[in-house]
Amino acid sequence: MKKFAQLAIPYLIWSFVMLLVPMILILMYSFLKPGNSIVHFQLSLDNYIRFFTDKDFLIILWRSLWIALKTTAICLLLGYPIAYFISRCSEKMQGVLIMAVTVPMWINMLVRTYAWIGILSDGGPAAWLLSLFGFHDVKLLYTQTAVLIGMVYNFLPFMILQINTSLSKMDRSLLDASSDLGANKFQTFWRIVFPLSLPGVVSGITLVFLPAVSAFFIPKLLGGGQYFLIGNVIENQFITVGEWNFGSAISMIMALVMMLLMLFVRKLDQKANKER
Amino acid sequence: MQKDKRIFGKVIMTLALIFFYLPIVFMIIFSFNDSKSLTAFTGFSLRWYEAMFKNHGMMESLYVTIVIALIATAVSTIVGTITAIGMAYSKKWVKRYIQQVNDLPMMNPEIVTAIGLMLLFITFQIDRGFTTLLLAHIAFCIPYVMLSIMPKLRSLDPNLADAAMDLGASPWQALTKVIVPQIMPGIVSGALIAFTMSFDDFIISYFSTGQGVKNLSIMVYTMSKRVNPSINAISTLVVLFITIGLVLMNILPFLRKKMVKKEEVNMGELLPKKKWPKIVGAVAIVALVIGLFGWGRQAGSKPYAGQTLHIYMPGEYVGENFISDFEEETGAKVVMDTFDSNEQMYIKVANKDRYDILIPSDYMIQRLIQEDLLQPLDPSRIQDSMDLLDSSVLDLAYDPHNAYSVPYFWGSVGIVYDKNKVPLSDLEKEGFNIFLDPKYKGDLYLYDSERDSFMMALKALNYSMNTSDPEEINAAYNWLLRCVQEMDPEIVTDEIIDNMAQGRKALGLIYSGDAAYVMSENENIGYYLPTSGTNLWTDAMVIPKNAENVDLAYAFINYTCQYEAAYDNSSYVGYTSPNKEVEDELAETDFEGINAYVPRTGYKNDEVFEYNADTRKMIADMFAKVKIAASNAN
Repeated sequence: MKKFAQLAIPYLIWSFVMLLVPMILILMYSFLKPGNSIVHFQLSLDNYIRFFTDKDFLIILWRSLWIALKTTAICLLLGYPIAYFISRCSEKMQGVLIMAVTVPMWINMLVRTYAWIGILSDGGPAAWLLSLFGFHDVKLLYTQTAVLIGMVYNFLPFMILQINTSLSKMDRSLLDASSDLGANKFQTFWRIVFPLSLPGVVSGITLVFLPAVSAFFIPKLLGGGQYFLIGNVIENQFITVGEWNFGSAISMIMALVMMLLMLFVRKLDQKANKER
Repeated sequence: MQKDKRIFGKVIMTLALIFFYLPIVFMIIFSFNDSKSLTAFTGFSLRWYEAMFKNHGMMESLYVTIVIALIATAVSTIVGTITAIGMAYSKKWVKRYIQQVNDLPMMNPEIVTAIGLMLLFITFQIDRGFTTLLLAHIAFCIPYVMLSIMPKLRSLDPNLADAAMDLGASPWQALTKVIVPQIMPGIVSGALIAFTMSFDDFIISYFSTGQGVKNLSIMVYTMSKRVNPSINAISTLVVLFITIGLVLMNILPFLRKKMVKKEEVNMGELLPKKKWPKIVGAVAIVALVIGLFGWGRQAGSKPYAGQTLHIYMPGEYVGENFISDFEEETGAKVVMDTFDSNEQMYIKVANKDRYDILIPSDYMIQRLIQEDLLQPLDPSRIQDSMDLLDSSVLDLAYDPHNAYSVPYFWGSVGIVYDKNKVPLSDLEKEGFNIFLDPKYKGDLYLYDSERDSFMMALKALNYSMNTSDPEEINAAYNWLLRCVQEMDPEIVTDEIIDNMAQGRKALGLIYSGDAAYVMSENENIGYYLPTSGTNLWTDAMVIPKNAENVDLAYAFINYTCQYEAAYDNSSYVGYTSPNKEVEDELAETDFEGINAYVPRTGYKNDEVFEYNADTRKMIADMFAKVKIAASNAN
């Protein structure tokens, strides 16, 4: 139906202006010297050189990746068993549990993160809970632990939902077949269930890792003003320092690093698929 | 074995649910707390709900969030559906292009998308506000809608539309009667995703809005510096909305089933009828929302009825009833936007964001004057107000004869300290160098302001805070680096107020007004001004060149200078009023014996900031590095 093809034309224009041009602008800004205007400019690599020759920026990039990796690992370790548990429940129970996991996501992220300030602050419920186990005067708020808790809290549902989707799509008769052929529970899980859930795991990892690297309000709210991640550096460049060229360069670097990592994860996934 | 697994599963599931819902429950409980504390429940009260309903900025943010989410969902669902169908019948390169471009917002970190959109709006000089916010939301929602529709389209028989048309259907009929019903589940789930994304969004909204238009996320972000249980109240309201929505969603199908049973006898076409409850429901929600927020806006016979004043000022800087009283008196509506630092304000103003009133500090006013961003004030329109002010805040170097500015608050910067932890003798001996005293390691706050941090360092080294000598500035930089690397300070802004009031740390750098507030809350806290001198600052009201409502801006300036307004502001916030009568009265009543309230005037080492374009950039870069070093130190 050729006529229907015309329906895509308006979006071609829209997506060019609203999605592609912004990226081109960031790229352009990142190669310009500060103080340039669109009409009168000079290309340079200064912004990139400045980032890569400064140990402090590299440390922050590294820390952002590291904490995002930790968040992803924790979400995977917690999320997989939960998703697995949900997928083994009765149909009705599955619906209820999925709903229970989804509902908090509808309540604003910032609002939920804000609530953690009270829980983690000195003398709050978290400190009380820890004191029951004999840990007294533990400082939680404005530490890396607080940031990690905030991230896991915000992103765990994504992991659970993604893994659950691929687990619940699985053909149950495969499990019976596997045990009929003499595989034990562990073998069935490791050889059948886990490989089949891999697409969910991969998209779960993507959905957790990506926002975790660039998060900036979670570290700001729970980590305090002296806890910087790469997202905070970018925000600071744009909102307070006003050096948009440098900020754009940092954004490009981050986007590039993420793209490479995502390609890597996808390749792993494809490789795993082929081997099966 | 099987049983064990289920128990393990049940335990971890339960713990996860507790983890997910604990903060929400906690938030709801503390929204009813009688006191300001986030950790101690002192009694039941509805005062935060009252504060929330009074604060129309909060209510409006809720309104903006809902309206944006509804419109963005509707538009992106329609456009997304149409495009997805068109794409399925398009040439290969069109398909590839759209898929690649749609991947951009989905695969890029959100902050990159956000910055891209901000640069887009600024480059093409589109005023950022409600429209740009909506455009941005539509832009990032469409790809998600398409993502959920495309698999459904792919599983569709490509000849279906042809078959329909061979049988005599028009293309439009083939589309709406054949294709759309087939992909309906994808459309519905796409719409749901779009609504959730838009309702929840912070990062993209934060960068693509302006002129005081805020959604809930931005509101919470800007308010979260100071403990404010109204945030819990508004969050509880959101939880309530969502619960009602969920209940409706679960009850409607149930009711529909009943209705369908009745109708089955009539053999109606089920599909079109099924849609009605949904559409009616959506319309009802929109009407309810608009009605809920619309009723407050009745026009009156007041002088500025129906007009809007856009103010950009520091956060937590107005009295409890100041804004609502002003609105009451003039009939105008105030849209207030707040900033953390003068530098942050400057970037917005320099990029032509429109405001009618700004309240920056002295050196920033000087910069704005130099860069020709302010209007000169008409002396005849403000003369009566100027006569009410303390002569020591008038005619200062940053703005001779107050040609551009009228003071709003003034004060000093000093050291706030817990008398039980810090002996006064230490402060007298060390001055600002107490921030390098190992005795207080890990027990102090720095203030997240480049100007005042460098002021402290320069004064500690006995230099002028207005020095332009690179060596002296470098020495100050090293002083600050040493402080953040060796002393393990916390770098804060307004959080210092509550934390010092609770006595959480020994000392910190603070503005006099915040100190006055803290001291009135906790009598063990003192305020000390080092003998090496400090920054004597003024924050003043100015009217930018591109202001839209200049008359109303003058009305605001004059209103602020009056006794009642000045009293409300100063007694509530704790900063020193430039209104002489209010200043004298409060110094003897509310803030009696609190040295932070009365500024030290005429002291030889105290200085007023001057703007210097050369040192500004140096200091800005250096301070960004200090913060990064602080972050890397722990």
